[in-house]
Amino acid sequence: MTDDLVVHTRGLVKDYRSVRALDGVDLDVQRGEVFGFLGPNGAGKSTTIRILLDLLRPTAGTVRVLGTAPAEGGATLRSRIGYLPGELVTEGRRTAGDLLAHLAALRGGRGTERIGPLAERFGLDLSRTIRGLSKGNKQKVGVVQAFMHDPDLLVLDEPTSGLDPLLQREFLDLVLEARDRGATVLMSSHVMSEVEHVAGRVAIIRAGRIVDIDDVAVLRRRAGQEVTLTFDGPVDLAPFAAVEGVERARLDDTTLRCLLHGPPDALLRAATAHRVVGWSAKDRELEDLFIDHYRLPATASEEVTADV
Amino acid sequence: MSETATFRPVTRWVLGQQARTTLFWALALAALSAMYIAFWPAIESSDLESFVENLPEDLSVALGYDRIGTAAGYLSSSVFGLLIPALLMVHAVMKGAALVAGEEELGTLELELTAPVPRHEVLRGRLLSLWTATGLIAAAVTLVSMGMVAALDIDVAMGNVAATGLGLGLLGIAVGSCTLAAGAATGRKAVALAVGAGIAAGSFMLNAIGPTVDAGWMTAISPFSWYIGDDPLLNGPDVIGFTLLVGLAVVAAVAGEQRFRSRDLLV
Repeated sequence: MTDDLVVHTRGLVKDYRSVRALDGVDLDVQRGEVFGFLGPNGAGKSTTIRILLDLLRPTAGTVRVLGTAPAEGGATLRSRIGYLPGELVTEGRRTAGDLLAHLAALRGGRGTERIGPLAERFGLDLSRTIRGLSKGNKQKVGVVQAFMHDPDLLVLDEPTSGLDPLLQREFLDLVLEARDRGATVLMSSHVMSEVEHVAGRVAIIRAGRIVDIDDVAVLRRRAGQEVTLTFDGPVDLAPFAAVEGVERARLDDTTLRCLLHGPPDALLRAATAHRVVGWSAKDRELEDLFIDHYRLPATASEEVTADV
Repeated sequence: MSETATFRPVTRWVLGQQARTTLFWALALAALSAMYIAFWPAIESSDLESFVENLPEDLSVALGYDRIGTAAGYLSSSVFGLLIPALLMVHAVMKGAALVAGEEELGTLELELTAPVPRHEVLRGRLLSLWTATGLIAAAVTLVSMGMVAALDIDVAMGNVAATGLGLGLLGIAVGSCTLAAGAATGRKAVALAVGAGIAAGSFMLNAIGPTVDAGWMTAISPFSWYIGDDPLLNGPDVIGFTLLVGLAVVAAVAGEQRFRSRDLLV
């Protein structure tokens, strides 16, 4: 069973001295999927990723990457992983080409032959000194070294930050190509739009806990619609607020705005009690759903868990 | 199928990165040594000894001036006893602190530590590059000194100059290893610098003060004394002292590695 789980964590806890960065993370990433890992900065994305790469050792809980614990798998395990850091820091007078050749040498030479083609694809000038590279060019170096050896697992931390829109698309194509040849991709971001077009499933982490995990399609459905109804005269808010699936209903004189989950039937029936002069229903951006999760106060989310 | 690496590409990369600074340090220290040695003929013919005799005895002993009238004494106190080892230790402490803790704090170590290289190989690779750079600088000083000694026909055994140069390199390696190990153990550059500078300055002071207050334990525990306390320019290689320097480097490296393998990195 676990053979199909490329990343598998249970009750993962990480404390930095007195600060709890991860508070019981359960995460399963299946072989061959593109998995979005979303959360605000400081929610625990990078901490989780650094545990997968054995930079950090968990305080409690279990973690398996490609079937082994990172601390036991060590260098052999990392040879099957491609990692794109959130912020690549480079220093020195050597060129981007030198650095990439060095990183290939650290893989026993694997991937050397793909440095040229990948650099060309992303318009990276290999003869530039790494000290003066712009954020975008550093990101390109990061992309090339993460993908060059065709790893089984790609761990991409905020991958498209710093890339211009054209290269973001090129990058997403590269992700899909990797998936098509059987690779598994774990992609973190603090914005939904960065992952929603390539990710099959998404997990949302907040304050060190996974607060939601689902198919992007299901999330999109759950995000609901922004509905606006305009009436020819003042109406009462209460009957609308009571409709099932309606949230955050607010009345602005003759205009009702609300968030609708599920079928619109009941809301429309309630509306026909009045004279409707205008209406609109707009699918919400996944971003908004995501922001809902951010807004959820920590105590409330714990109450919810306690209720279940 | 797995492809992993050992310390070799790490050392090669770091040495390449550091090539220019290492060359600069080697040239600067070699030039300084040459300059000091070039003064010897003038000093030999001057009446320096009577000047030294008028100094308080403790001061002249502490500065190593008590034997300045002899060629070996002059080389000891000027080139090999003060400025050159001090600068070499400065280099070793700076590099030792930067190579692991410094680069970890900066973040440049991230790609190496997430590459398929075991942690201890990353550490060994970087330690080896520090040893190599330190060795090259000490070798440059030694070769230039030997050249000057030959050219000016100074009355010091060539083998003893080489032995002192070896001790100089080992001193730099020992101090640098302690610094690097402190950084590897803690991940904090400031800690590494404090440990390295503390050992460098402390060992220098113990070596200087020990003989004047007749406290044998001071020179016994001072790496600086292990290097030059037995006067290798006069007596040849100090086998015990040099062995202690190597031992210190190895023990520090092993201890640092132990901690580096088990702690959280890039926190």
